[in-house]
Amino acid sequence: MTQTRATAAGNRYHLVGVLVASSLVGVLVGLAITATAPIPGLPQPAAVVRVGLPAVRVLLDMAAVVTVGLCLLPLLVGLDHPRSAVPLLRGARRMAMFSSLVWAVTALVALVMQTGEVRPGAAVSFAAITEYVSTVGAGKALVFVAVFALLCFALSVWSLRSAEAIPAELRAAVALFALLPLPVTGHASSWRWHDFTMISMELHVMSAAAWTGGLGAVVVVLAGNRTLLAHTLPRFSKLATACLVLVTITGVFNGYVELVVSPTLTLVEGVFTTGYGVLLLLKTGCLLALGAFGAHIRWRLLPAVSAHKTTALVTWAAVELGVMGLAFGLATVLTRAPIN
Amino acid sequence: MRILGRALVTALVALFALVGLAGTALAHNQLVGSTPAQNATLETGPASIELTFDQPVQAGKDLNTIVVVGPDGTSQWQDGTAVVKSNVVSVPLRDLGPAGVYNVGYRILSADGHSVSGQLPFTLTKAGTGTPSDQPLNASAPAADDSTSAAAPQNANDEGVPIWVWIVGAVVLLGGGVLLAAKVGGSEQ
Repeated sequence: MTQTRATAAGNRYHLVGVLVASSLVGVLVGLAITATAPIPGLPQPAAVVRVGLPAVRVLLDMAAVVTVGLCLLPLLVGLDHPRSAVPLLRGARRMAMFSSLVWAVTALVALVMQTGEVRPGAAVSFAAITEYVSTVGAGKALVFVAVFALLCFALSVWSLRSAEAIPAELRAAVALFALLPLPVTGHASSWRWHDFTMISMELHVMSAAAWTGGLGAVVVVLAGNRTLLAHTLPRFSKLATACLVLVTITGVFNGYVELVVSPTLTLVEGVFTTGYGVLLLLKTGCLLALGAFGAHIRWRLLPAVSAHKTTALVTWAAVELGVMGLAFGLATVLTRAPIN
Repeated sequence: MRILGRALVTALVALFALVGLAGTALAHNQLVGSTPAQNATLETGPASIELTFDQPVQAGKDLNTIVVVGPDGTSQWQDGTAVVKSNVVSVPLRDLGPAGVYNVGYRILSADGHSVSGQLPFTLTKAGTGTPSDQPLNASAPAADDSTSAAAPQNANDEGVPIWVWIVGAVVLLGGGVLLAAKVGGSEQ
């Protein structure tokens, strides 16, 4: 049983590494599942785009998740223990500053790559990017994300300069708002169920981000401080339970709708014969594992944490974050996978 | 938790505002029909290839491509570039040549901005008298650039750069931003 070390947060930054690395593994697994042979005569996008685009998109997601988690953290910690919380939350704002910068830059790189993807073989000029933004919704969404991530960055910098200037709610709201545009341009929606699938997809993304980011932020920032952890983890646990329920319901609903409205396949065929269906099954597996790990943390570790005892929380959180990263990687490929 | 609730409510209001703004159906297009049909057996080639999707296809210069590859695997038989009309993408077809399996390959841009590609073969049973296109689509250099530069002359001197240059630029930008942010944001203490 590995123990939570009550030392500087530097020891726990590897959790972020676990999350990002497993998300990249998820992308590679997803790409392997959905790989198709090149079509004769048709120009293919360059390899840097085929593999690089999902990789950049998942890095974008990870930067978004980390930022959202760090921006939610002050709300979870609350104001009950200001003396010990203030320096830790300042560190969290610093991390949010860097992660929101990564978020903005990856959004711009994704924009360049998606422009390159639609006209395989052609080099990407500035004019091509502006044309892509003006004709394709996904382009506009990425610009929107980049702008809001930069706003989030500016708010983080400002709140570092003067701690009281920016309410934590505002930073959390801006970070959550920046999550919204991209799901609308994935295959979030289909004609008949349009409004429901879109709302459901947005809820799916927001709750997945709050869950993963919240867990990461709570463990990375707070695990060294038993008092704050004992105070915050039960509150996070409530949030995580709500997120788990939401992610499950919305995920099942969206996957079902996406397969049912497919004009060429039945539901069962869709689940078992398509790359999309296999990815869906893998994500279901991830969710079940996450539920089990979450239950372990909630029922076994939480009572000990609340009693200010030493627990193996960091280890279990690392495992849970690894599975979460995997699910995000699969999701990135899933949003781009055709159903056939 | 009340504060958190307020943040969530704010985000939800924003969400519904956004949903209200977005009007169009956005999902991956799927091929629902074609002329000729998949694996069709024909005596003479059709005048054009028509692909029908379940939703409108995003029209635009060079965004949608249809190629028809002959039985030898290299000759191309489409006549010009693909034309989009709502959810039908079509390309004129030359008179076909030798009998055998012709393969129609397509890549279209679906309403949600993702590329969708696929292929469908058909078989020609009687050899025709046609000759393949002398302007085949090239996998490495886009032949279309020459023909369309007249329509968009301002693009002629706006040479694009390869993707990796953009990526290097982004990494430099990120590095600079991080350094600047570390300076502006103050130290850990």
